[in-house]
Amino acid sequence: METKKGILHKIFIVFCWIYAAFSLYPLIWMLFYSFKTNQEIFVTNPFGFPWPLHYENYITAWTKYDVPLYFLNSLLVSIGTVVITIFCALLFSYATSRMIWRGRTFTRLFLGLGMFIPVQAIMIPVVKVVQKFNLMGTRWSLIFPYIAINLAFACMVYYGFFKGIPLELEEAACMDGANIYQTFFRIIEPLVRPATVTLVIYIFLNAWNEFILANVVVGSIPGLKTLPLGVLFFQGEFTTDWGGMGATMVIASFPAIIVYSIFSEQVESAMTIGGAVKG
Amino acid sequence: MKKKILSSLLCATVAATTIIGCGQSAQETSESTTNATAEVSATEATSEEAKTEETTSSDSGEKVTLSIYTQYADDDTKVPYDYAVEQLKEAFPNVELNLIVQAQDDGQTLKTLAATGQLPDIYQASTDIINTFRESNQIMVLNDVAQSTGFLDKLYEANKDLAYAEDGNIYAFPFSGQEYVLWYYNKALFEENGLEIPQTYDDLKNCIEVFKSKGITPLALFGQEGWNTAAAYDVVATRYTEGGIKALDEGTASITDEAYASAAKTLEELVAAGLFQDSATTTNYDQASEMFLSGNAAMFINGQWYIEDATSALGENVDWMFYPAADEASYEAGKSVFSGGGSASGFAVNPDSENAELAAEVAEFITEKYCEAKVMYRHNPLVALDTGKEPDSEYPAMMKKLSDTLPTITATTKFTWGLTNSTFNDGIQSESQGLVSGQFTAEEFIADMTDIME
Amino acid sequence: MWPPDLLKRNNTMKKYMGNKLAIFLFVLPALAIFLIFDFFPIIQVFAYSFTDWNGLTTPNFLGLKNYIDLFNDRVFYTSNRNQLIFAIVITVYQMLFATIFAITISDKKMKGRKFLRVAYFIPVILSVTVVCQLWSAILSGQGLLNKLFEAFGSDYTQNWLGDRYKAIYVIAFVNAWQWMGYQFALIVAGIKSIPADYYEAAKIDGCSNVKAHMKITIPLLAETYKFCLIISLTGGIKAFTEMNILTGGGPNKSTFTLTYMMYNAAFKKSDYGYGLASASIMVIECMLVMLVINFIFREKNQLKEEEKSKKRRLSYGN
Repeated sequence: METKKGILHKIFIVFCWIYAAFSLYPLIWMLFYSFKTNQEIFVTNPFGFPWPLHYENYITAWTKYDVPLYFLNSLLVSIGTVVITIFCALLFSYATSRMIWRGRTFTRLFLGLGMFIPVQAIMIPVVKVVQKFNLMGTRWSLIFPYIAINLAFACMVYYGFFKGIPLELEEAACMDGANIYQTFFRIIEPLVRPATVTLVIYIFLNAWNEFILANVVVGSIPGLKTLPLGVLFFQGEFTTDWGGMGATMVIASFPAIIVYSIFSEQVESAMTIGGAVKG
Repeated sequence: MKKKILSSLLCATVAATTIIGCGQSAQETSESTTNATAEVSATEATSEEAKTEETTSSDSGEKVTLSIYTQYADDDTKVPYDYAVEQLKEAFPNVELNLIVQAQDDGQTLKTLAATGQLPDIYQASTDIINTFRESNQIMVLNDVAQSTGFLDKLYEANKDLAYAEDGNIYAFPFSGQEYVLWYYNKALFEENGLEIPQTYDDLKNCIEVFKSKGITPLALFGQEGWNTAAAYDVVATRYTEGGIKALDEGTASITDEAYASAAKTLEELVAAGLFQDSATTTNYDQASEMFLSGNAAMFINGQWYIEDATSALGENVDWMFYPAADEASYEAGKSVFSGGGSASGFAVNPDSENAELAAEVAEFITEKYCEAKVMYRHNPLVALDTGKEPDSEYPAMMKKLSDTLPTITATTKFTWGLTNSTFNDGIQSESQGLVSGQFTAEEFIADMTDIME
Repeated sequence: MWPPDLLKRNNTMKKYMGNKLAIFLFVLPALAIFLIFDFFPIIQVFAYSFTDWNGLTTPNFLGLKNYIDLFNDRVFYTSNRNQLIFAIVITVYQMLFATIFAITISDKKMKGRKFLRVAYFIPVILSVTVVCQLWSAILSGQGLLNKLFEAFGSDYTQNWLGDRYKAIYVIAFVNAWQWMGYQFALIVAGIKSIPADYYEAAKIDGCSNVKAHMKITIPLLAETYKFCLIISLTGGIKAFTEMNILTGGGPNKSTFTLTYMMYNAAFKKSDYGYGLASASIMVIECMLVMLVINFIFREKNQLKEEEKSKKRRLSYGN
């Protein structure tokens, strides 16, 4: 019995590792891909190591558009989106999950509507709103719509986490004489850090990879274009330079991966702090 | 924590402005280089500059920046654009172009830009775009400009109808002339396997069998793109009735006519015999093209613009054939009917542009230069205008053969982007894809198309 | 949510948590952005769905025509069927694997857990375009998967993405595979927030590891699972990019979803009004799904809450 269990456990561990390899494979594949020509990608060598290395794909990508500028725009827009979304969602979810007022369930579900609408459907009205507020030609023209897209989701995740916090915490804070703002920022907010960290990553990536709105809103403004728009320089009416696109995608993805790898340590510690406070 | 984020955000913003500043000065110095890629970034940089100039001092307003929405990705689109920009500098020294690269998104971007009043000064418009924008007055009538710039005089007689929309006005300057769907084949593969060029569908089925037994895909289709499956149906349909999909689009024929039913039946049989690769409907252009160019596929259906690429990869070993037909008589008769044709697509102008008149002239100029570049550097004489230019090297053999055939061509149909009925267009693209996948029968095809047309 | 007995015990708490100004300040920023950039556009979507708007011209009111046409459209039913399949596949796949991996990673004895945690999350970081390119290379006719089957002499080679009926499952798998990592991260975060002494208590009671998780983790993460479920289901209903890249909606629209229908009608056929009608139906479907999920979970939550307060009273009694 015991050995059977042991074997099963080993098989399970092996499975976990195989699945992990399976998850990491796209990185290697993308890297290989970015060094290949169309012919290699589609016929001669779709999966193997690229040889000879067509590093000129990177040169093409680098010279076709202003990579550092696009990169910076992506970074600013993504950070702006993350900071404001997290701030708004934290406050909103706290008010709808723990504070007592009539209509809070309705308000929460009402805001949840935002999760369900595809960008393509609301694109024209959204751009018109952006124009009305005179945001065209600034980075806010992307940041506000991005916040709107991510807000509902962030609120829902926070709602779940706030609900899980023991009610006695506010009671204790209240007795200690802290006002509601102090209670929220000093006691409650640190407890949902694990959620904040996962949301920061998620929202950042959403903003970082967004293409459709970016193309419409800043596609005609050279100084504001974001990295995902770089692929346009490789997609012709009929043919696409897939290797060049691969290089662009590597340039766009690897910073995110590096940030995540560094950040994931932070994630771990943030989570354990949250847990420790609670325990 | 929050403060830290905010302050780093601020730092980043400061850095941003300085970097943008640096970028500009760096690009200014590279302006003189004729390098094609530097050209674009330089244009982008200077256009920004021009904008600021416009806003700060209107009296110095010599420079005008025009935004242009067009394709800029592969040689077929980059070479003409770069050439046009270079020529523009001499002809219109005060004009700078701000290039917005066209997205391959069925017009989603352009339509949204139009809906939100951000239409670029000059944009590349397809038939569908022209028809849509016409209704909302977002496309300029170019009749006068076409006259004054001499565009109409240069337009080939055969292309006259391309310039005019249904209502008799000119809305866009077309640069492509009549274009044709060619049935390419790999000569070497046919010879190695002792096969003749198929004339009838029975011949073709024989070829399919031989190629399949050798592990060669008979015909590589890029069926993820609806136009290619529609073209596959059209090359069969035109063997039964010369109207092809054009007659259906115009409503002068019905999908229930016997010719179209027979064409669907024939295509169904060919698919069942294995004419296309199994995953044809999920194959993109580059995949299919590479299959053909690397000798893994014996045949290929694409426009005549592919001659240049095919010749440079396969040299002597590639040629095009007349489409096979049901019997030899209709094969011979069909030699004068080609799938494909011209479309009214071309450079259009935003009437609400501040410099609409100038934009119209520039659009016409660019169109001329596109035609020149296509003749000189892309060896494609099938352009809209008589440029009087010669190619920088000899035309490929396939192009010569096509030129020799041109006088005998009596009828053409349309590419999907030249179709005027968008419901039919959407329907034929997806229904022909179903037929090609081998999972929808000819009867289903006819029945569904009948539904759609109602 | 606040148990009535607690509030009764402490009336000042009610005042404290009912601070009108604080509620106003907390709700305002999010609500303002939502109203301006989400709700206002959504209203327009519904309004224009009753017109023949093509995005540019002044719309004419058509009444219910778009909706009637929609219900007579074969593709509408295919789209709904596909969405359902899509939603079910990704929900089952993601919740199953995310739970298993999250529990495994949370076991401090597991070797290489930090590495695994990063690995499972990697597909989430990549853009959908990259992931779809990869899978279309693997799943294409001459792709890796078919080659593997051939190498093993198996006859199981398939036209994975080109099949009229099966392709939707394959696309759903690709989506599920990519976003599993995110639900995994959420569940890991949830587990972290469960006090460790719960598990120690379970161990003392002689529960096996698996049993402890079944008894503690999953019930305590009900709220987390609720939003995982909502993410999966609504994600399925909203799916678009995967279809666009992997199959282009084909063959012959058999992998369409309502979002795809909307896109196709609005931009390929310049029939924005019709497209928005399908988008409206989709929003309504999503809302229904969310209400149903909320309803199901609410019952359980109330039960749990009651139990909790019972226990609390007992412990106070002690």
